[in-house]
Amino acid sequence: MRFDANRRQLLVGGAAMLGAGALMGRPAFADETALRLIFWGGQARADRTYGVADLYKAAHPDVTVTGEFLNWPDYWPKVATQTAGGNMPDIVQMDYRYIGEYARRGVLAPLDAYAGNGLDTAAIDKDQVANGTIDGKLYGISLGVATGAMITNAAAIEKAGIDFNPMGVTYDDLKAMAPDFAKANPGMVLTADGSGVELLFENWLRQRGKALYTPEGQVAFDAADVTEWFQIWNGLREAGACLSADEQALETGPQETTGLVRHKAATTFATSNQLVAFQALMPDTLGIAIYPMIAPNTAGGHYRNSSQFFSIANSSAAKDAAVAFVNFFATDPGAGKVLGVERGVPVSAKVRDAIAPDLDEPSRLAVKYVADLGAIAGDVPPAPPAAAGEVEVALKTKSQEVAFGQQSPEDAGPAFLDAVKDILNRAA
Amino acid sequence: MAVDNTLPASGATSRPAAAPASWWSRFWAQNGSGYLFLLPWLIGFFCLTIGPALISLYLSFTDFDLLTQPDWVGAANYERIFTSDPKFVQSMKVTLFFVLFSVPLKLVFALAVAMLLNKGMKGLPIYRAVFYLPSLLGASVAIAVLWRKLFAGDGLVNHLLAYIGITGPSWISNPRYSLWTLIILAIWQFGSPMIIFLAGLRQIPNDMYEAASLDGASRWRQFVKITVPLLTPVIFFNAVIQTIDAFKSFTPAFIISSGTGNPINSTLFYTLYLYQEAFGFFRMGYASALAWVLLAIIAIFTAFSFLTSRYWVHYDD
Amino acid sequence: MTTDVQRLTVVTGADDAGKRLRRKVLSVLAHIVLVGISIIMLYPLLWMLAASFRPENEIFSSTSLIPSSISLDSYFRGWNGLRVSFGTFFLNSFTISILSVAGNLAACSVTAFAFARLEFKGRGFWFALMLGTLMLPYQVTLIPQYVLFLNLGWVNSFLPLVVPKFLASDAFFIFLMVQFFRGIPKELDEAAMMDGCGPWRIYRKIMLPLSLPVLATAAVFTFIWTWDDFFGPLIYLSDQRTYTVTLGLRTFVDSSAESDWGGLFAMSILSLVPIFVFFLFFQRLLIEGIATTGMKR
Repeated sequence: MRFDANRRQLLVGGAAMLGAGALMGRPAFADETALRLIFWGGQARADRTYGVADLYKAAHPDVTVTGEFLNWPDYWPKVATQTAGGNMPDIVQMDYRYIGEYARRGVLAPLDAYAGNGLDTAAIDKDQVANGTIDGKLYGISLGVATGAMITNAAAIEKAGIDFNPMGVTYDDLKAMAPDFAKANPGMVLTADGSGVELLFENWLRQRGKALYTPEGQVAFDAADVTEWFQIWNGLREAGACLSADEQALETGPQETTGLVRHKAATTFATSNQLVAFQALMPDTLGIAIYPMIAPNTAGGHYRNSSQFFSIANSSAAKDAAVAFVNFFATDPGAGKVLGVERGVPVSAKVRDAIAPDLDEPSRLAVKYVADLGAIAGDVPPAPPAAAGEVEVALKTKSQEVAFGQQSPEDAGPAFLDAVKDILNRAA
Repeated sequence: MAVDNTLPASGATSRPAAAPASWWSRFWAQNGSGYLFLLPWLIGFFCLTIGPALISLYLSFTDFDLLTQPDWVGAANYERIFTSDPKFVQSMKVTLFFVLFSVPLKLVFALAVAMLLNKGMKGLPIYRAVFYLPSLLGASVAIAVLWRKLFAGDGLVNHLLAYIGITGPSWISNPRYSLWTLIILAIWQFGSPMIIFLAGLRQIPNDMYEAASLDGASRWRQFVKITVPLLTPVIFFNAVIQTIDAFKSFTPAFIISSGTGNPINSTLFYTLYLYQEAFGFFRMGYASALAWVLLAIIAIFTAFSFLTSRYWVHYDD
Repeated sequence: MTTDVQRLTVVTGADDAGKRLRRKVLSVLAHIVLVGISIIMLYPLLWMLAASFRPENEIFSSTSLIPSSISLDSYFRGWNGLRVSFGTFFLNSFTISILSVAGNLAACSVTAFAFARLEFKGRGFWFALMLGTLMLPYQVTLIPQYVLFLNLGWVNSFLPLVVPKFLASDAFFIFLMVQFFRGIPKELDEAAMMDGCGPWRIYRKIMLPLSLPVLATAAVFTFIWTWDDFFGPLIYLSDQRTYTVTLGLRTFVDSSAESDWGGLFAMSILSLVPIFVFFLFFQRLLIEGIATTGMKR
């Protein structure tokens, strides 16, 4: 309980002051700083992260970074529990969906004071710095550029001999190419059903000049948009171009549940930094493509998001040391070499240049994709409002209702809009 | 501590004259050993359980997002639960359906197999171990994979059904059938109640069966007249525990739906909904209210079970 | 009745051969049924076993039960793949589970004895409360308990996982033992009391020996459930060197980054071994414990 922790924090604070006083009187003792770091990911990411921690320790022997990692579903309850108990680790990995929630509740430390003063923000891409800015303050340092992307089964697509343009495919293309694809790849459809993917929906809205949310955090689309969105996907489903309802419903989140990995569909809607992970799961050569356009040469849908951030706990007793480590992590070329593109394309140009020669094929593809996207990408949207995570869940459920025929797109449009408004109101 | 009833109630003739016993020493003489034996549990209860439980009750009247201080909102959470929460209704439906079907089926299987194994046939230890193996998998992430392998559109079950000419749907991802795959999963792990039944069966002395066969009683009669009555405490235990567990069931749905409760919330177990509210949407206050509603429901059911148990459960005391 | 017995012997003499044949057929049938059910029960596990021997990118692509090539790669990778070897996880899980067994057996049996056999004021009230602790979902007592243990300084150690067992926190086992204790005839207690035994001796000399089946059951379940528990370790253990097997298994798979399914399956199979062995060992006790329950009425 936070109210318990306040008393405890007082005690800890008092002890720290005493300790500091004692230290000052004994200059012979080296200042050993211990930083706690928590992040989500698998062993592959952990190895790289700890590799960077070791590098850092070599350069700064008085700082020890102790890491802890968990998989995505376990990570958030643990961080929330630790924070509720007043025991938040110094450095916490954040996601764009949650950083707003944590930042607005005051548990993350604002980093503006460190910009240019311990935190080399000039070396980081401007839009990446902006991504970590909530309500005007900097709360997180982006660790990788990521954008929406279709991961494609390049081998199956090539087999079908269709004219699939990874950087320019449209929704109409998907429908048109479906029959030829199905003929060449029996048992497989061309694309997954993306009607429940919030990133894709947002991308589609942006191409039409709309958005998910206004800067004030209100809904920025209307019922007619939602109806048309579901109608597009119903059309694709009826034409056999995308996965059927129950095939798509098998995809519950983990990569191995996607139609792509199960060889039921040739594409899946993911993000650019997942190409490497998907490739590891499949023998077929994979490719990467944009989210479909609504018409040829329609720009503005994509934007350069951040795959994840490192944030600093407001309760951390070693903020300066933590900032120094995060700075090293994000902008040091040596660290970048250890990290590769596992977390996404590096956010600092000098790091990108340093690692370019050593990339393997899937990594190279991912980096090239993000770079080429510059031409058609639009501005980064404002930070999502609180309860944005709930809207994402609601879209998924609603899309399943429509796909299984429980609700028509005409009814689903107003129903979904009402649901979103309820969610935003409740969170306000 | 049993009071020696043979002493005269006013008793004192055999005892030396002493000052009248104080309330405390009387209490201690009568209840002392009871409370001494209860001491570990009492310590645990007061130090580890009651505090957090009361705090969670308090939190149920607040708006608590885990990261900042709780905000008192009175009965607003409860009001919302009972009047304007469709997900509450849905999760209640899902959970009740699950309890209604998985518990009886699980118990029937467990008892049947336990009886079969109680015969002492050849290979008994192997069979017993085999039937218990699934329960060892517990909360493994691997279960989700295995279940999909069985019940997806192209899974093993549909392969087998194809042999007899049936084209099955994707059981695990179709909202009409997905809950059944979870019910089957619960039944698949019937090992625990089976072991308990076995232990209970084993506690029935063999000579009772011998005496009955000598008297000419058929096996069925023996089952009905000896086994079932003597097994009733164990049946009662298994029924109550399995029902409570089924109401609280979380991990299978969490693992198989990856925490979503989908397709279309058809696997949104009550505790899964609670978990989403607490950790997914930063509404721990609301989740606490949901928890106490669940506790009330389970408590009512359990009390009802205990009250009616006197009519069919046969204890030896 | 002699006449009945005579009739019985006459009857059995004539039908002996027929009865034996019928019994044999039934027994074969029973075995067939059992084997059939066993295959169904085991199929998911057999699939996992096969998958653990497959190369990584074939695990999800192929559907057959027999792997095209046997590779122990997943086992090596899984065992050493994490910075901390799986051997450490096994040791940790084992430690916690054994301690939990000790705690549960001691504390729950003592508590159950109080509820089942001792008369004291408020017994019904405490029993109801004890049952009540079974009904509250752990998700909501999680945070307050975490804060409690945090203030005690026990976080990031095994203490929050083990100490509650010694304080009879597992109401399931208390309830289970109560039901079993109530099945033991009270005459035995009363006879002992006549001999001047106090409750402690009754507990030790009568209750415990006669309850070996339920104690063995409690030991097996405690071990297995503690071994399989992941939420407790998730919240209270931060140092990877203190992780348990189930926690280690969960780090193999992460949907946002690369997963190691082969390693997961291989280590899952391996992790079944200790609990299975524990179970096999104790299931003998379950049977042998009956030898002493030849209770005469």
